[in-house]
Amino acid sequence: MSQAQHGHHGGHGHADPILHPEVQMSSGRGYFSGFLISTLLMLIATFLVSSHAAPPFGLLLVITVCAGIATIAQIYFLLHIDISEHNIWNTVSLVAFIPLFVLTIGLTWWMFSQLYLRTMPPMPGMHG
Amino acid sequence: MSGHASNTPDPKTAVLWDTEYHGHDVISTRSLGFFLYLLSDGMIFATLFAAYGVLSYQHSYFGGPTPADFVKPWYTFSQTIALFLSVLAYGMGMTALKRRSRGGLINGLLGAFVLGVLFLVLDIHDVLDLAAHGITVAASGGISAFIVLTQVHAAHIFFGLLWILVMIYQVLRLGFTADTVGRLLSLRMFWHFQAVVWVFVYIFVYLWGYMS
Repeated sequence: MSQAQHGHHGGHGHADPILHPEVQMSSGRGYFSGFLISTLLMLIATFLVSSHAAPPFGLLLVITVCAGIATIAQIYFLLHIDISEHNIWNTVSLVAFIPLFVLTIGLTWWMFSQLYLRTMPPMPGMHG
Repeated sequence: MSGHASNTPDPKTAVLWDTEYHGHDVISTRSLGFFLYLLSDGMIFATLFAAYGVLSYQHSYFGGPTPADFVKPWYTFSQTIALFLSVLAYGMGMTALKRRSRGGLINGLLGAFVLGVLFLVLDIHDVLDLAAHGITVAASGGISAFIVLTQVHAAHIFFGLLWILVMIYQVLRLGFTADTVGRLLSLRMFWHFQAVVWVFVYIFVYLWGYMS
């Protein structure tokens, strides 16, 4: 612990951890923008869904777009994912992660929907 | 080749190697590692979303209640606001850290803690309310998937709250050392990541469940 206080662990000669780029990239304006954008999008989605403003498929499309934009805003403003020298490897890992995430959910859902289609006996009150 | 002669360093004064070992940037190395952990945590959520996806057919509810019967969009929206404000408070605390303001950082952490507790209280109240109406994991496969997914997210919030308390103690006790500052950065990633996951939980589980 005493070593840390002398800054030998700071790396790149940063004796002072406050000067580390990951501390310095905090931005009140960025955090506020991320908050505002995602809150407004969630408000719009909640309003449209609770008032049944459109047929289900249209609603699903609109709230999916809301989720997509809110996620991008949060990833950019809150998680600092960008192509700057300091953050590029976080960005690369996230880009490599996205196909794994989508395939895990998508292939599982696809497999089960096909399975249900072929194996489920028609039950009363079931629409397929 | 002789044209480069003027650029040739003087062998008597040239520094041919670094006198100091700079090593890895410890804070950056740890935070990349922690980010990779968060992405694997994202895969846990992927499996839970997949389970909910395949267990949200009409037959998955076995004739019992479906999310369309019990989800209250505006109630859950208030949870959304509590969590997003908590994340904002944490972010503001980190801008105070940048200004070396210990008081500002502690205020941000306390704000994040109180709003996170509010989120958790609203969540627990919701779960108890559902249980009082017989809507528990035992009701059907669909309800199991719904409750497990939403409560795994709530468990993340619970552990994040514990971590916030630990950081308040460490900052007061140890100040801004390389270790405490590194942990504050990891916690920032963890806390902000929960807001990203919540967007998916709120839109695709609560709202979509309510409308289908």
